[in-house]
This record gives sequence, C-alpha cells and structure tokens, in this order.
Amino acid sequence: MSITIIVPGSLKDLLGGSDQVTCEGKTIGECIADLDCKFPGFRGKVLDENGEVNSSFMIFLDGQNVRSLIGMATSVKEGDEVNIIPFAAGG
Amino acid sequence: MIIDRPDSHFIFVFHPSALMGKKYTLYEGKELTNGEVLQYWGKWIVLGEKSWLDELAQKLDRYVEDKVIPCIKYDRKPPANLGLKEAVMMVYCDKRKGEEIWEILHQHGVKIKAWVSERETMEMWLPGGPLLEQWITSMNLSEEDARINREDAAARLGYIFDHPDEIFSPWEQ
Repeated sequence: MSITIIVPGSLKDLLGGSDQVTCEGKTIGECIADLDCKFPGFRGKVLDENGEVNSSFMIFLDGQNVRSLIGMATSVKEGDEVNIIPFAAGG
Repeated sequence: MIIDRPDSHFIFVFHPSALMGKKYTLYEGKELTNGEVLQYWGKWIVLGEKSWLDELAQKLDRYVEDKVIPCIKYDRKPPANLGLKEAVMMVYCDKRKGEEIWEILHQHGVKIKAWVSERETMEMWLPGGPLLEQWITSMNLSEEDARINREDAAARLGYIFDHPDEIFSPWEQ
C-alpha cells in the first residue's frame, strides 16, 4: 500500500531533503520501518527505545495524533497521508 | 481583524466582537464550559515561514469576520526556545466543526493535517509537562522562579480541569 508522508520544511532532513515522500506499509509502524530502509536512521530519530513516537515529534493520520489511536499499530490504507511535525508545535 | 502588537510574541486574528469582551469559544452560538473545552476545543497546526503565515492570515481573516473560524494566533518569529525553526499558526475551533475548517485551510494551501486538542496542550503545559519544563530550562529560570511558574500553571490550568461546569474564560497572552 502506498502511503504519503508529509513533513514541514524544518523536518525535510528526516526525508533526505524532501518534504513529501511515499512509503509502503499496512500500519504506521510498517511505514516507519520502510522509511528507515530508505532513509537510514529515520526510525531512531522518530521513535523511542520502546518503539513509540518519541518526545520530539507528533505523527498524525488524517489529522489525528496516532498516540490517541493505537500508536504504531494504527492501520493505514492506500492513499492515506501521514504527517510528522515537531512536538513543540502542538503547544 | 488582524491584531499585530509588536510587544506580543503572537499575532492574532479575532472577530471585532472579541475585543469587546465577547467569547470566541462557542459552539452553535453557545459559550463552551471548561468541560466542553477539554472535550471539543482545539486547533489545526500550520507550520511555515512567517511571510507565508502573514499571507495566509490575510486570506483567513474573512472567515474570522464571518465567524466561521473562531480565532487564529501565530508566532511573530519561530519560537527557538522550544526548538522550532518555523513559525506556528494555530487555527482554533470546536472539533465538531473541525473538518469544515480543515477544508478551508486545505483550499488555501495547507498540506499538513494536524489536530491538537486543548486538553493535550494544557497537559503539555502543566507542571512536569514537556513544554513547560522545556520552557523553564530554555529561560534559565532560578529554582524559585521555576517553582512560581509551575504553581501558576497548576493553578490556572488545574482550575479548568477542576471546574468543568463553569463557562470557559480564555486568558490573555
């Protein structure tokens, strides 16, 4: 399944200089694993040692924070857009 | 109406009635209680260059004048003390109107769809919350000043959680 990842300009470095890329996966966690293959180190920058979103970022699926869904196990479907923003922007 | 006071970190977009003391935390014309604010109120987060946010604010002002969007605030400059490199715009609304307002933002070029509830934000700014603690560190506050700020946050935000049936009163920023 092709999922679009969109980040603000300040986070383009996470995605090799692009603010929008596509990845494959059936869950948010699988998408992050795929992004880690494309952009080595991505997973370590975004997730904590427990495999959940770390305190520097928020990840949204269709506007909803995945923390308020079921985190990395949240399902995604073809054409979904996932957004990543700095955590502090939410304050 | 865009309120740009150089002494404020934020630039606001308010309906003129807000300047006359009218609340903007409304749903279907009814003022929200603290409990309803915690349940429904929040904002769409928009990140970008300040110049782009200025242009966006100009375009969104008419929706605020028409009372479709309750209010907007955005940074005068990126809040570097919170580790941000871009300015942040917050487009406030009731979650029950959230999709309607998201469509407006999308039509005006907003790509990132990120909803943050007021409850989440308040929890970030309570004592021990990540943003309050990061702010205290970035400001190099003495232990005494840090304690005062934590107590103030606990009192102001705690009141909202402890009095769910009272009408919500936004605080000045």
